[in-house]
Amino acid sequence: MNFLSRLRRPGTRKAGVVALTVAFAALLAACGQDHPDSIFHNRTDVNRDVDYLFKLLIGAGTGVFIFVETILIVALVKFRKRPGQPEPKHVHGNTTLEIMWTVIPALILGVIAVPTVRTIFKTQAAARADALQVEVYGHQWWWEFRYPQYTMTGANGKVDTVVTANELYLPIGKTVNFTLRSRDVIHSFWVPALSGKRDVVSNHTNYLWYTPDSTTEAVFNGACVEYCGTSHANMRFKAFTVTQADFDSWIEHQKLASVDLMPPPAPVAPAAGTPAKPGAPAVTAKPATTPAMAAAAATPAPVVQAGFVMFPREKMPVSTVPQTPYPEKLKFDDGLLANGNAAAGEKIVNTNMCIACHTIRGNPMMQAVLGPNLTHVATRTTIGAGLYPNDAQHLARWVKNAPSMKPGIIMPTFGIGEYDPVTLKGIVKTGFTDAQVSDIVAYLQTLK
Amino acid sequence: MATAAVGVPYTVADDYANSGLWSWLTTVDHKRIGVLYMYTALFWFGCGGLEAEIMRWQLKGPNGHVVTAEMFNQLFTMHGTTMIFLVVMPLSAAFFNFLIPLQIGARDVAFPRLNAFSYWVYLFGSLFMNTSWLVGQAPNGGWFGYAPLTALQYSPGLNIDFWMLGLQILGVSSLAAAFNFITTIINMRAPGMNLMRMPMFTWMAFIVQFLLVLAFPVITIALVFLQFDRFFGTNFYMMTAGADPLLWQHLFWIFGHPEVYILILPAFGLVSEILPTFSRKPIFGYPVMVYSGILIAFLGFGVWAHHMFAVGMGPIADSVFAVTTMLIAIPTGVKIFNWIFTMWGGNLRFTVAMKYAISLVALFTIGGISGVMHASPPADLQQTDTYFIVAHFHYVLVAGSMMGLSGGIYYYFPKITGRMLSEKIGNWQFWLTFIGVNLTFMPMHWSGLYGMPRRVYTYDAGQGWEIFNQMSTAGALIQALAAFVGLYNIIKSRKSGEIAGNDPWGAPSLEWSIPSPPPDYNFAVIPTVTSRYPLWDVKSPELTTDVPHSRVGDEHNTIAIGGKTVGSFQDSMAAGTPEGGLNPNARQASTKVSLKTAEQLGIPMPYPTIKPLFVALFMVLMFASLLLIHVNKETMGLVAVLTFATAMTFSLYLWLTSPLEPSH
Repeated sequence: MNFLSRLRRPGTRKAGVVALTVAFAALLAACGQDHPDSIFHNRTDVNRDVDYLFKLLIGAGTGVFIFVETILIVALVKFRKRPGQPEPKHVHGNTTLEIMWTVIPALILGVIAVPTVRTIFKTQAAARADALQVEVYGHQWWWEFRYPQYTMTGANGKVDTVVTANELYLPIGKTVNFTLRSRDVIHSFWVPALSGKRDVVSNHTNYLWYTPDSTTEAVFNGACVEYCGTSHANMRFKAFTVTQADFDSWIEHQKLASVDLMPPPAPVAPAAGTPAKPGAPAVTAKPATTPAMAAAAATPAPVVQAGFVMFPREKMPVSTVPQTPYPEKLKFDDGLLANGNAAAGEKIVNTNMCIACHTIRGNPMMQAVLGPNLTHVATRTTIGAGLYPNDAQHLARWVKNAPSMKPGIIMPTFGIGEYDPVTLKGIVKTGFTDAQVSDIVAYLQTLK
Repeated sequence: MATAAVGVPYTVADDYANSGLWSWLTTVDHKRIGVLYMYTALFWFGCGGLEAEIMRWQLKGPNGHVVTAEMFNQLFTMHGTTMIFLVVMPLSAAFFNFLIPLQIGARDVAFPRLNAFSYWVYLFGSLFMNTSWLVGQAPNGGWFGYAPLTALQYSPGLNIDFWMLGLQILGVSSLAAAFNFITTIINMRAPGMNLMRMPMFTWMAFIVQFLLVLAFPVITIALVFLQFDRFFGTNFYMMTAGADPLLWQHLFWIFGHPEVYILILPAFGLVSEILPTFSRKPIFGYPVMVYSGILIAFLGFGVWAHHMFAVGMGPIADSVFAVTTMLIAIPTGVKIFNWIFTMWGGNLRFTVAMKYAISLVALFTIGGISGVMHASPPADLQQTDTYFIVAHFHYVLVAGSMMGLSGGIYYYFPKITGRMLSEKIGNWQFWLTFIGVNLTFMPMHWSGLYGMPRRVYTYDAGQGWEIFNQMSTAGALIQALAAFVGLYNIIKSRKSGEIAGNDPWGAPSLEWSIPSPPPDYNFAVIPTVTSRYPLWDVKSPELTTDVPHSRVGDEHNTIAIGGKTVGSFQDSMAAGTPEGGLNPNARQASTKVSLKTAEQLGIPMPYPTIKPLFVALFMVLMFASLLLIHVNKETMGLVAVLTFATAMTFSLYLWLTSPLEPSH
């Protein structure tokens, strides 16, 4: 009954070995999959430097690992207790050995430390002077991107900077220098495929540069990687690498103001007279995606930048198209969307709380800066900071009850009869009907 | 062989109630306090584990919705806080309490009532912090609580208050205990036990107490700033008033990095006890093991900013902290090699305790290697705040600390309870743990490098992360199963485990010379120590003849190991080399022994007292009353704070004016 005699149970051990083997086999199989957000894509100069370091680290680490585990296993097998074995010899230490395993690791660390320090100074040097400047502002829980080298003067003489939200366009082959600031708490800016992260620290200004020089036209997922509150996980963004020509075209388009559908001198619409019904006036539709806009295509459109205005959605790999499901309880009558009236939508927007937070250049009512700038919201592929695809169905639900689609956000619930998940109060009297929401969506979709 | 089903190995007739709830509430016995620490920590281990399981269930697939975002954030905050402050630290404290006096040949710690106070503060503090679940406002700022997210502006609820006050309460417990143990180790070692004869566990514990004493004041200051901000409107972390959020980060990590060594060094110490015993060889390079522990602790204060490589400190600071961090790998590596060479040439017996110790050596190496990878800032910028670092520190804290502490439980359970834990069930637990830990945390290296951020309650489909998350979730479930097996083992073995005897493992240090469980006075006669391995000098002299600090020739007759006057176990102990590592005679003998009480032996022992419990209770209530201020009951809060402060002071007065022990 000596309990020590039951210690070695080959059956148990074999099961463990089998389980581990299966686990590692699964792991290896998983490594063969597609990993769009991997840090190993090597699309930028900085990431190639990091990759060199990483390979050095993982190489040295693997070597040390194999060495240590090998002698450990050898010791375990060779010196396991056997029956009738004499007591082991007393060994209390060995100075030579101990000096060896102090000095050799020190040498290995030296081999790592030198390129580490070199890379630190290289990647943290000032960016080249001709770099594209992008100002990144972290908000709870979305990203504001500004292009200070590109400005335009508005009708009132005000100089504006090109500003967008949650979608970053970068020209291939040109160094981009990010200036990182926070509007509230600490965030961290990261596009794993392009470079390491840099924290976006309140009351601090940080910098990060790299050159997307080994990439084609592509889309990369980015994310906030410093815990910043309730919807930290939903603070994502996209980085589009495009050719310089496409970038120039895109930024010229971003400089344009939106077309105001509201003011009196609106062009006479063909189907005038029933403004609350389908066939809304004047929109600058590029690709006509909804019937409402198709109807508007006949109206005289203002001059709009031709060419590249947004990354073609059909070229976006599936990994960059959000697949977040709707909240189960959030219902919307999608049939109404086809009948959305953009002008009516603008009127609702201009007379409700939307004006408290958002800017739409070209619409004099919309000049607030608390939320994302919506001037060109229809040229973005996602809404809610990379959380949902930007289409009518998602926009409608977002307008109806944004807090239920993205926990913690300050955008209120607008849908009539909806429950605000924060206040837990029903929005009964002041809310929008689904038809009104459809009008708003129609308006938002004109903001190309 | 062994006479099974024999009752308690000895009976002690104390003049005070010796069992029952009251005896536990009033105990000042370091062993009982250690036991309280152990079971409380294991309880919170279950809670922290449950939090982890819920999170893993949420993350098993993309866009999971088991819990809400807010709930998930509370879960990961409390998982981290619980596992660090309510599990690993107190479980280490359980061993400090139980072992330090036994290993140095003392009858108790220097301040037995302060020791009880430390425990009660820990218990009430941990209960206070977890009360937050009942009001639905558990802490949600992360265990690191970065400013300014914890400011009133961004966290108006009680969540952060619970966390901030709870940590301050727990800090009181840790600091009181640390001063107690430092005093104990410096002053109460048995005659002849100079510092370089102390067992390795006591050495590591000694180092940890200094880390605690030096690190905890720093976070206390950071927390007091936060408390003043939240309660009294100061501007330490108020961004609109121009505060610098890096103030919090520097203060937090100056505490936070030494904290890592506070968590791992006790496990290192336990492993350094277990490996020699089951290799039947002295620890390889004792002095180097001591010095490397000291060096790790010392360097640990100079590396904190490696947690902050992403905040933009500039290339010079990054380089300095990169190099200092890499330096720590050297003493840590020395420890790993010394452990392996402790086993090399030995006579290895793979008990469950030994298996845990070996897997610490094997798996901590992985955490150490990924640690060096994090030490290189350009690489760290890709790895930090992803699942890669989650993998890294779980290899350090689960595969390191928890494996070591689990091994310690298997190794010392016989000494604590007088009964062996079942090796059969223990093997199940070990292998399930081993598989579960690797299956949970190994895939996280990949999910991290493939871009998955940490602290996310959800992730999108199509990112290639699903398989790794499924594996991690499966591993977490296996770990839960292992925990239940372990719980079953403890419950079963406490009742019907084999009787352990004094020295079931054939171990070298003093605690194994006395009965299991030890009498309240530990040593009937304070032993005189002339070597590092006093029991081996007696029982297996061939193992120690060449060890420095053993004076050849005199260990056999002059080492007086306690207890000659109290029974026959001394004879059994001298009965020769254990067969198969066990001395069956010892077990039989110990069952016959009826030990004398402290009174009969004329040993003055401290009186049991309830007063430390009251001081702790009122202190915690005093802190808790501050919450009332944030539920808009300022006056009531102020009155409550003052009332409990008065009650605490009064209890403290009663405590300090009552005698510690019978006059002698």
